[in-house]
Amino acid sequence: MKISLNWISDYVALDAPVEEITRAVTFLGFEVERVATHGAPPLEHVIVGEVLTRERHPNADRLSVCTVDIGPAGGVRTIVCGAQNYKVGDRVAVALPGAVLPGGFRITQSKIRGQLSDGMMCSGRELGIGEDQSGLLILDGRPALGAGINGVLPPGDTIFDIEVTPNRPDCLCHIGVARELAAWFKKGLAYPQERFRGEAGAARSDLFTSVEVETPADCPLYTAHVLTGVKIGPSPAWMQERLRAAGLRPINNVVDAGNYVMLEYGQPLHAFDARKISGGRIIVRRARDGERITTLDGKERTLSSRTLVIADTAKALVVAGVMGGENSGIDDSTTTIVLECAIFNASSIRWTSRSLGLASDSSYRYERGVDPHTAREASWRAIDLIMEIAGGSVVGPVCVVGGDVPWEREITVSSGFVCERLGFEIPAAEMRAALESLELNVTREDTAAGGDVAWTVAIPSWRDDLDRPIDLVEEILRIHGTERIPHARVTSAGLAAEDDPVVAFNRRATSYLVGHDFNECVNLTLRPASELDTWVSQAAAAELALANPFVEDQSHLRPTLIMGLLDTLLLNQSRGTPASRLFEVGRVFVEHIGRNYECAAVSFVVGRDAVRRWKRRDPDDFYSVKHHVAALAAEAGVDLAVERIEAVAGPGFGWQPGHSFTAGSVGTGWVARFGLVNLAMLKARGIDGPVLAGYFTVLPERLQARGQRPRFREFSLFPAALRDLALVVDKSALAGDVRAAVAAVAASAAGAAFSAESVEVFDVYEGKGLPEGKKSLAFSLVFRSPARTLTDEEVNGALRRIRDEVARTTPYQVRS
Amino acid sequence: MQEQLSTLLAKASAELNEVKGRPELEAAKARLVGPNGAFTALMRQMGSVAKEQRPALGKLINESKARLQELLDARLRAIEEAELSAQLGPPVDPTLPPVEPGPGTYHPLTLVREELCRILRKVGFTVADGPEVETEFYCFDALNTPPDHPARNAQDTFYFPPGARFENVSKHRSDERYLLRTHTSSVQVRTMLKGQPPIRIVSPGRVYRRDTTDASHSANFHQIECLYVDRNVTVRDLKALLDYLFEALLGPGTKTRFRPHYFGYTEPSFEVDLSARHLPKVNKDWIEIGGCGIVDPEVFKAVGYDPQIWTGYAFGMGIERLAMTLYGIDDIRVFYQNDLRLLRQFTWGS
Repeated sequence: MKISLNWISDYVALDAPVEEITRAVTFLGFEVERVATHGAPPLEHVIVGEVLTRERHPNADRLSVCTVDIGPAGGVRTIVCGAQNYKVGDRVAVALPGAVLPGGFRITQSKIRGQLSDGMMCSGRELGIGEDQSGLLILDGRPALGAGINGVLPPGDTIFDIEVTPNRPDCLCHIGVARELAAWFKKGLAYPQERFRGEAGAARSDLFTSVEVETPADCPLYTAHVLTGVKIGPSPAWMQERLRAAGLRPINNVVDAGNYVMLEYGQPLHAFDARKISGGRIIVRRARDGERITTLDGKERTLSSRTLVIADTAKALVVAGVMGGENSGIDDSTTTIVLECAIFNASSIRWTSRSLGLASDSSYRYERGVDPHTAREASWRAIDLIMEIAGGSVVGPVCVVGGDVPWEREITVSSGFVCERLGFEIPAAEMRAALESLELNVTREDTAAGGDVAWTVAIPSWRDDLDRPIDLVEEILRIHGTERIPHARVTSAGLAAEDDPVVAFNRRATSYLVGHDFNECVNLTLRPASELDTWVSQAAAAELALANPFVEDQSHLRPTLIMGLLDTLLLNQSRGTPASRLFEVGRVFVEHIGRNYECAAVSFVVGRDAVRRWKRRDPDDFYSVKHHVAALAAEAGVDLAVERIEAVAGPGFGWQPGHSFTAGSVGTGWVARFGLVNLAMLKARGIDGPVLAGYFTVLPERLQARGQRPRFREFSLFPAALRDLALVVDKSALAGDVRAAVAAVAASAAGAAFSAESVEVFDVYEGKGLPEGKKSLAFSLVFRSPARTLTDEEVNGALRRIRDEVARTTPYQVRS
Repeated sequence: MQEQLSTLLAKASAELNEVKGRPELEAAKARLVGPNGAFTALMRQMGSVAKEQRPALGKLINESKARLQELLDARLRAIEEAELSAQLGPPVDPTLPPVEPGPGTYHPLTLVREELCRILRKVGFTVADGPEVETEFYCFDALNTPPDHPARNAQDTFYFPPGARFENVSKHRSDERYLLRTHTSSVQVRTMLKGQPPIRIVSPGRVYRRDTTDASHSANFHQIECLYVDRNVTVRDLKALLDYLFEALLGPGTKTRFRPHYFGYTEPSFEVDLSARHLPKVNKDWIEIGGCGIVDPEVFKAVGYDPQIWTGYAFGMGIERLAMTLYGIDDIRVFYQNDLRLLRQFTWGS
């Protein structure tokens, strides 16, 4: 909101420089977005002159050559001028050589098209007093020739553009801000003194009879005054100046007076032409569904039964508290006005303003709350102003509906409480003075033992935001100054607590992947519907949709982090930045049997490494990503080696069939998936493939569940005996299945004396020397006894039994 | 005899010089000092030597034997050295770059978040976590947000359809709507409901605003919030925390100031400004960095804490905004594009 310093000065005498006032406003709690100076700045060498002669420039049709009298000291100067709006005898502002005009424009003696010009006659804009550049600023009232221009022009003004927080609707006006500044600078505050105080003459209007409020909850107070004999015209310059300073456009004297009072008191007002009120009655009612009104901005609006309107007996005149209608406003021929000063329910106005997409200075104030107990003074003030600038007189009836709930609020607060909350001392007298400077008047003071003073404070009606002792702590601190909070060191008694397990998991996963040469990415959570549909599942697309997306391609929660990582690959690829190893840690949202789960997730991709290197390494493959997923699963306490791994099937269209596998499920609290991203889909997305990917997704509650601490398992200190076993199996046989079969046989073959403690595949071979359709798998077997060193004979015996047993009981053929 | 010995030694020395590996050395050793070796054979001749000559000859033999052993040892050392040298591989050029694709990098938002958490851990804050999908109660009601507050509006906040079911995000009331949290303060509510004071947590995380994306706005961004609940928590404590936090983050001479402000969940409330003349691209005396205040008694009532007993403070700020200030980045969107040239610029301590 724009606040004029000149205007503020009507109520409080501030002698501080602008910088000090800016600081005060800031530390009172109103952020100052801009400080602008309006009106003429101090100007040197700019004086009053009178045009004595005006001749056409011999060499330019649009220029004139004038002689200008600049008073006894300066004599008569010749000045070339391009303006057209002046005549001989006009007095104007003359900038002499040496003057510097706003914007740094320096005036010098110069030749213009061959004619000497000894200065410049100025427009308002050139002087920095408005935007008018249509011609010279013609000075009214024949000021003395040679007089400095600052003594002639109205004084400049400083405009603060401030942000008023929603709890302070009382400061959406000049009196409110003046009150705050008076408190800060410890100055008195002078309110306007209304001359009209509610007494209408005996005369009654024959155009207007009554006000009826159908829904008092929407409109707790409605007052209407009738003024006759009003003459509509422009408002005086001083009022226009102030309205403009505050960012409003002057309309006519009556409308301007209303707006002026709104900016002064914060109370919106509305004036009707009494002739346009059908039936002479104002009815405050809800609109009918589908009722239409054309508002002052020329737009036709369709209303609903939640919209409050001000109507006459025939039609809606005004969208209450928001904007007037075209059909009832003041025009040049208006002579009798009905002046509305009302209070509307904040929620109702907020709803209406939102639903119509229509906001105004009035709705802005009503939404935040207008003090019903100042409404009367505001209407009187407006009537004073209208009578002063538009003439007329108040006639009956004066209609007041509602407004009968008295205001009364007291808060008791003690100096001890204030200090306790602040953590530092402020003298009790200073606290009380701070409260009273804001008109939070102390009605009772009690001193308890120990010097603690308790105050009962009367809260004024405009401070509805104050209703608890803590609220007064803030008021005292504001006036004391938040810059004066004394410095302290942090003290903290230890609270034994650990970081959330999800946070700890994320941290471990992040550092694992960074340690394995991955680059961490952060992508957006919201993804397009089509992507879920094609890359994940139709069910996910159905369940993870937002009700009110803002843009079409951000309509769904992400079920996987991989899509974002593919975007990152593509972005880097298109920018020619080689990126191949990317990961993200973050939340994903997984649809599982018609229900959604918010999960912690870590996901990575390995794209083609486009960097040429001086030495070759084997590129990552399926087994590299399996390794990383297993490591990430381990960080969540999941041992992937013992889990069942299945081909990705069904939903999860983004994976390459036969080259992507999955373990776990939402039901068990985690899902691991890894392999190749679908090649055709990658290609469609424009990414140079192939791309390997993996993720581990886990429910937060699984991480939060406290795991069982494992017990130590004793191990043998005797040496191991190693033997190899090679089997010829079908090419399609899975190594895990073969290994399990060998391990099962080995477990029994050794007998009770010792065990085959591990069976691991160490070689896979296909090709020469093997039958068509077969491959060889070689296993390393480790035998060990807990009690002694094994002899070759017994180990060889065990191996023999294993070979025989495998040959007898499995489809695998033992290689000799 | 003497002659034979010196011939043998000369021959052994010449032979051993040609020995390359351990097996050859073993063979040479056997040829010389083995049971059938040449030296062993010479020693056997001792018996046929005259008695008076024996002491002198004995001495000579011992000397020769020692010499022979020296030659063998020297050869063994040479072989061992050669074996080690063989492990060295070819000579290296230390200026050639590594061929691995790394190093891996942390995202700048992670670096800033983790640094803040580390600083706060030192004064007793532990990191709390909570869902990004939230309900109206945790995001608004419990934080003293009036029912028709604009923040709740569907124009500003993402909601889910009434039928949406988030199985592991608990509702406080069954008729609540699910939404995407607009601030991490919802974690404060969940933490307070779950535990008992005193509480000292920091909750970093992703938040959502239904807003146009531009250089300073993104549909999701990250916040970090502190909450401290205890007896007798004061405004001065809050100021002390922020002074500590920013001085730890930005170095000595960093200043903070409070400006009175308004938030529904704190009273009094402040905006926090940072004096950061030494930061890149900041040419102002003060930059706004976050909001804070003393926890409003209504918030305590909503979670069942007695506001007569418990007091607290809360502080929150945007991580992107801070990261932009710290690193001199002026477009928030670069954080979400993940251009590798950005990601490679930042490491711990940068």
